[in-house]
Amino acid sequence: MITINSTLIAQILNFLILVFILKKLAYKPVVRMLKARQDRIQESLDKADAEAAEADKTLAEYKEQLASARIKAQEIIDNANKRAQQEREDSIQQTKHEIERMRTAAKAEIARDRERAQEQIKSEIVTLSLLAASKVIGAQIDEKSNEKIVTDFVEKLDKDKIGDLTC
Amino acid sequence: MHEIGVREVMQVESLGLNFNIETLEMTWLVMAIVILIAWLATRNLKMVPTGWQNVLEIAITGLHGQMDGMMGKKNRQLLAPFIVSLFLFLLVSNLIGLVPTLASPTNDLNTTLGLALLVIVMVHALGLQRRGLEYIGHFFKPTPVFVVINVIEEIAKPITLAFRLFGNILAGEILIIILLEIAKWWIIPSVCWLAFSIFIGCIQAFVFTMLSTAYFSISMKTPEEEE
Repeated sequence: MITINSTLIAQILNFLILVFILKKLAYKPVVRMLKARQDRIQESLDKADAEAAEADKTLAEYKEQLASARIKAQEIIDNANKRAQQEREDSIQQTKHEIERMRTAAKAEIARDRERAQEQIKSEIVTLSLLAASKVIGAQIDEKSNEKIVTDFVEKLDKDKIGDLTC
Repeated sequence: MHEIGVREVMQVESLGLNFNIETLEMTWLVMAIVILIAWLATRNLKMVPTGWQNVLEIAITGLHGQMDGMMGKKNRQLLAPFIVSLFLFLLVSNLIGLVPTLASPTNDLNTTLGLALLVIVMVHALGLQRRGLEYIGHFFKPTPVFVVINVIEEIAKPITLAFRLFGNILAGEILIIILLEIAKWWIIPSVCWLAFSIFIGCIQAFVFTMLSTAYFSISMKTPEEEE
């Protein structure tokens, strides 16, 4: 039942042949594939880590930029407000000046008109006085000296401030 | 049914050689199946494994894990093809005997003893190559008297390795035949035993492989590595 014969040697050779074939056909390619997969996974993990770090960095950068942009925007708004305020004040000031100027101009105009009116009234008075005087005297002195006398008289009146007529 | 243990012997008179023809035929069949599986697994290797590639990768990575723990990465790279082939060959050999009309190559002592002797010769050769005189010296430790015990142990190694596998498989196959003979119309014990034989076939293939690995790792470990 238990006989050892040449089969033993044949089986050893058979097995060695099998080892040789399997090593070439299966073992080496599979181990290579396992190694390649391991490398690939490692690479993917490394890459994912690097990308996560990169994303964190970018996010921090964006946040920083956003914060600085907000500060800048606030600055711009503040500036604009200040300028608007300034402009409003300027315009109010200008308008006030304008009003002042117009009032002064109006006053001057009024004064000028009054002066003109006074002049007119004065000359009227002179003429009337001459007429009256010539009538009273009845004699006609030459017009020139008459006018002079009356004008002097009226001037004198002005100087002495006789009557209610104010200049 | 042929008489248990009686084998058809082919004689090559001119060389004085006798071959158990059924064992050889079954061995070649097993080799063909193993190579077929290997071919199916590797003909289209993919980064994302499917089908047979998964099976072969599980076998290889599983054995790699065991071997890494026992002998370290460097020795594993040298011996892994041998150990993986041994496991696949024994697994298919043990299971093929459960197919009616087929027989396990491992139910013949010539196969198991042949493999065991091959393993033991390789164990000693690698031990000598790695450790030189220190390897021979370690048989005489802790005292020279221990050489007797050590030599008996070394001789026992291939014998236990061979007979454990041979006995398990042959007994399994004999019991399948006997159960069918004594209870022809009551198949439940037979089916149960068949299921158990599948389990035994896997376990024995694993045991043989792991013991071989252990022997390799013991002989190749230098004293410095042990510390």
